[in-house]
Amino acid sequence: MIAREAAQRVRAGRPHTKTQAATRIAVPRGLKQLAYDATGIAVAALMLFPIYWMVITAFKPGRDILTLEPKWFPAPFTLDNFKDAIARPFFLDDVRNSLVIVGVMLVLALAISFLAAVATARFGFRGRNAFLVMIIGVQMVPLNALIIPLYMLLDSAGQVDALPGVIAIYLAVVLPFMIWTLRGFVANIPVELEESAMIDGCTRVGAFFRITFPLVGPGLVATAIFGFIQAWNEYIIAYVLLSSPNNQTLTVWLASFTTNHGPEWGPLMAAATLTGVPVVAFFLILQRYLAGGLTAGAVKG
Amino acid sequence: MNLRKPWVTVVSVAVAVIAAACGGTGGGNNNSSSQTGTLTVWLMNGSAPQSVIDEVNADFKAKYPNVTVKVEIQQWSDVTTKLDTAFQGSTPPDVMELGNTLVAKYAAAGALLDITGKRAGFDNSATWLQSLTDSCTQAGKLYCVPYYAGSRAIIYRKDFFASAGVAPPDSIDGLLTVGQKLMTAHASDPNFSALYFPGKYWYGALPFVWDFGGDIATQSGGKWAGSLNSPSSQQGLTTLNNLVGKLSRADKTGDEAKQDAAFAQGHIAMIIANGWEVGVITDPKAGNPALKDQLGAFPIPSHNAGQTAPVFLGGSDLGISAKSKHQDLADAWIATLTGNKHMTEMATVGGVIPNTTSMLSLGTGINSTFYNAAKNSKFVPNSQNWASVESANVLPDMLVKIFTRQQDVPTATNAASARISTILNGGG
Amino acid sequence: MGLAIAPPDLGPALYQRFRRRLFPYALITPSVAVIAGILAFPLGMLVWLSLQHYGLRELIAHQGEWVGLGNYQAILTDPLFHQVIVRSLAFTFACVALTVGLSTLIAMLLLKVSNAVRVLLMSALVFVWATPVVVTVDIWQWMFDYEFGVINYLLTQLHLGNFIHHNWFDNPLQGWTVFVVIVVWGAIPFVTITVYAGLLQVPNELLDAAQVDGAGAWQRFRFVTAPMLKPIFLIVICLSTIWDFGVFNQIYILLNQRPSSDYYTIAIYSYRESFGVTQYGIGAAIAVLLVLILIVVTLFYVRETVRQAEIA
Repeated sequence: MIAREAAQRVRAGRPHTKTQAATRIAVPRGLKQLAYDATGIAVAALMLFPIYWMVITAFKPGRDILTLEPKWFPAPFTLDNFKDAIARPFFLDDVRNSLVIVGVMLVLALAISFLAAVATARFGFRGRNAFLVMIIGVQMVPLNALIIPLYMLLDSAGQVDALPGVIAIYLAVVLPFMIWTLRGFVANIPVELEESAMIDGCTRVGAFFRITFPLVGPGLVATAIFGFIQAWNEYIIAYVLLSSPNNQTLTVWLASFTTNHGPEWGPLMAAATLTGVPVVAFFLILQRYLAGGLTAGAVKG
Repeated sequence: MNLRKPWVTVVSVAVAVIAAACGGTGGGNNNSSSQTGTLTVWLMNGSAPQSVIDEVNADFKAKYPNVTVKVEIQQWSDVTTKLDTAFQGSTPPDVMELGNTLVAKYAAAGALLDITGKRAGFDNSATWLQSLTDSCTQAGKLYCVPYYAGSRAIIYRKDFFASAGVAPPDSIDGLLTVGQKLMTAHASDPNFSALYFPGKYWYGALPFVWDFGGDIATQSGGKWAGSLNSPSSQQGLTTLNNLVGKLSRADKTGDEAKQDAAFAQGHIAMIIANGWEVGVITDPKAGNPALKDQLGAFPIPSHNAGQTAPVFLGGSDLGISAKSKHQDLADAWIATLTGNKHMTEMATVGGVIPNTTSMLSLGTGINSTFYNAAKNSKFVPNSQNWASVESANVLPDMLVKIFTRQQDVPTATNAASARISTILNGGG
Repeated sequence: MGLAIAPPDLGPALYQRFRRRLFPYALITPSVAVIAGILAFPLGMLVWLSLQHYGLRELIAHQGEWVGLGNYQAILTDPLFHQVIVRSLAFTFACVALTVGLSTLIAMLLLKVSNAVRVLLMSALVFVWATPVVVTVDIWQWMFDYEFGVINYLLTQLHLGNFIHHNWFDNPLQGWTVFVVIVVWGAIPFVTITVYAGLLQVPNELLDAAQVDGAGAWQRFRFVTAPMLKPIFLIVICLSTIWDFGVFNQIYILLNQRPSSDYYTIAIYSYRESFGVTQYGIGAAIAVLLVLILIVVTLFYVRETVRQAEIA
C-alpha cells in the first residue's frame, strides 16, 4: 500500500509541483510571469537555433544552401536531400546495425548496472568505495587513446569487423556512468518500504523485486537514455572496427557524406536529421518517465 | 606482448557469449588455397564509380569463379587511424587504395608487399605516370601500382573574362594583370575574388614554388634539407602572396574544401582546381548546372611567358598488404582494375586522369587541360616521414602566416624549412 | 574463524550470514568482469606503450623498444605540452563554470515558466542533447563559416560591427571562445535536466519558511536550495570536468581534422602524436598524463562525491 503510493508519487515525477504552483499563483502574476515566459522562449530559441538550421537545410534545394545571404526558410521546399540520403547504399543495413548494437548493449548494460547499483546503494562491503572510485576513474581515460589496444584485444578474440566486439566495447564504456546514475535511483528508494514488505511476509529478495524494482523503473529509463545517446553517436570505434559495408553503423554512414572535397551539405543535413530522429523519438516516448526518474535519482547524486 | 595472452581467453569467452546473443556475425575466412577464398579490397569513398567496380569484379570472377571479392568503401575522415590499426592487426585487407603521399610511410614500415618482380605483369607499367611511380618506389623497390592521378589547372568563368575583355593569361604577370582587370570590373561586389585562393591551399601554392626553381626539400647523402627558404622558393611564395593579396577574398586561414560551392555562387572568376571539380561546380544538387557552358580551364602559367608551371600530382595507388594471405589474387585483382579496359573507363566514366601517359589523350574538352598538366608534374619529398610533415600542418601553417602578414616570407619559410628538415630526417 | 568454532546446529544461520556477506560481491561481479575484461588489457597496454618507442614499424611488427620514462621526459620538457595543459585547464574551467552556472539558471527558470513554455524549453533541451556531436559540430562549423556563416551575417545585420569575411579562428582567443560556446551549448541539456530534477526535490515548506523569515531570493538559494543540491552539483561538476578536459570532437572536426597546435587539447595532442605522427609511445604517454592530471584536478570532487554516496 505504502509502496504503491510512493511509486505513484515517484512516477508522477514532480511530487511538489502542486504546492509550488499553488504558492506561485498567490503571487501577482501578470508582468512577472510574462517576463519569465519570454526569457524561457528566448532560451529555447537560442538552444534550438543550430538544430533549426540543420532541419531547414535538409529541406532546401542544393543551390539555396551555401548562399552569401542566408535563407531562413526552405522555400522552395524539397525532399530531394532525404531521398538522396536514403538511396545511399547500405542505409538500411546501417540502421539495423545501429539498432542491434545499441539495443543489445542497452539490455545487457541495464541488467548489469542494476545489479551493481543495488550492491553499492544497499550494502556496505569492503571495497565498495574502491569500486565507486573505479567507476568514476574509468571515465577519465580518453577512448581515442585506447583504439589500438582495443583493436588488438578484439583481433585476438576474432571479433574485428563483427558487431559483438563493438557491443562489448560500448558496454564497458557506458557501464560506469550507468551504474553511477542507477545507484542514485536505488539509493533514493526508502529501504523502509522493503522492510515493511518483509514484515508482511515477503522474503528479502521477494520484497526487493516486488517493491524496489518497480520503483526504480523510471531510473532505468533515464539511465537507458544516457546509454542510448552515447552509443548511438559514437563514430571512431565503429569506423575502425567495422569494415564491411553491411556491418557499419549510422555514424559511419554519416561520415560518407563528407567526401574529399568537403561535406555535401544538403544530404548530410538530411542524413543527420534522420539519425537524430530515433534518439528524439526514444526520448519523447520515455520523457514522461524521465522527468520522474531523474527526480527520484538525482537527490542521492 | 606477453600481457596479451591471459586476456585472450577471458575476453573470447565474454565476446562469444555476446556473439551468440546476436546470432554470431563475423568471423574471418582463412582459406589458404590460392584459387578460392575471399579477397578484401578497400577503396576510398569517391574513387571508382560503382559501375566500374562491378565490371572489374565480373571480369575477375570470370577468371576466378570460386573467389569472392569484397570491395569495402572507406571514409576519408580518420582514414589513417583505420589503416594504422588494420595493418597492425592479423587480417588487414588484401588490397587497399592509398593516397600517394601515404604510401612511403606504410611501405617503409613494412606494411606493404614488395611487388618489384611483378611490375612487368601490369598493363602500361612502362608508361606509368612518373610522379605516381615515384610515390610507389622506396629504396629502388616497388610497393604499389599507380591507380589514378589528379592534377590542377585554373578553372575560369568565360563570361566574366569576356565582359572584362580579357583572355586566359600565359604568364604569372599576365595572371596578375587579368586578375586586376577583373577586380576592377567587379569593384562593386564586396564578395568578388578574381582568383579565389584559400590560405591553407598548399597544393595550389607548390606550382609557384617549383616554377621559380624552388622545392620543399632536397636530399643529398641520405639527409634531407628543407628548401622552402631557398631564394627561388621564396621568390615563388612572394609572387603568390602578391597575387593572393590583390586578387583573393577567400578565407586566408581556410582550406580549399568549399571552393567549388563558393565558385558556384557566382562571385569568383578563377580557382586552382582538379579536373573533377568541374563536375562539383555544375552538380545539379549542390552546384549550379547553368555554369556548364561558362567554364573554361587553362594551365597554371609560368613566370616565363608561354610556359606552364609544374603542378602537384595528386592521386592514389593500390597496394597489397604484406600480411595478405591471397597475394596472388590481390595481384590479379589490381591487374584487372589497372588494365587497359578498366583504366579507360576510369578516365571516361570516372573522369580521373589514368595512370599512364599512353592514355592522356583520353582527356577531351575542358578535361584535356588537366590531362596535359599531368605531364609537367612534381611530387612531394619521397620520404617515409613525409606523412608526418603533412600531419604537423607545416605547409598550411606557413602559408597562413605569410598571407595574414603575421610573418614575412623569410621568417615563415625559415621556420618551416627547419621543421621539415627535422621531421624528414626522423626527428619529431 | 567463526566457521571453525560454530556448532553444527548454527550452520544455516551462519550460511545465511556468509551468503549475505558475499551477496554484494556477487552483484558487482558482472560489472567488474565486463569493465575489467574489456578495459584492463587496453589500459595496461596503454601504460606499457607509453614506456616504449613505438612507431608505425614497431606497431606493425608488434615489437617496440623499451625507453623507460623517456617518452614522459620528452613530453614534460616540450614547451608545447605546457601550453596545451594550461590551455586545456583554462578551457575546462571556463566550460564547467559556464555550464553549471547557466544550467542552474535555466533549471530555476523552468520552475517559474508556465506549462507550455516549460514543455517547449524541455523539448529544446532534448533535441540538442539527442543530436549526435559529429553532426552538431558540422552545423556549428558552418554557422561560424568565414563567408557563408549565418553568425557573421546576423552580427553584421544587427549592426554589432562588420563581420563580413570575419574569421573566428584566426585569433586563438576568439577561436577558443567559440569552442566554449559550442561545448557549453552541448552540455547544458544534461546538466539543466539533472539540476532541475534536484530542484523539484527541495521541499517547498523550507523555502516558504525562509521567505517568511525574510530571506531574499538569493539568500533562499544560498542557504536552502544550494546545500540540498550539493550532491548533484558535486557529481555534475565532477563529470563535466572529466568530459570538458577530454574534449576532442568539437575542436578536431570543426577544424577539419587538422587543428593547428594553437588549438590542441591534451586529447587532441595525444591523438595527433599517435595517428598523425605515428609516435604511439608518445601518444600513450600523453594520454596517461591526461588521466593523472585529471585525477589531481578532480581529487577533491571525487572524494566528496563518494563520501556523499552513502548507503541508503
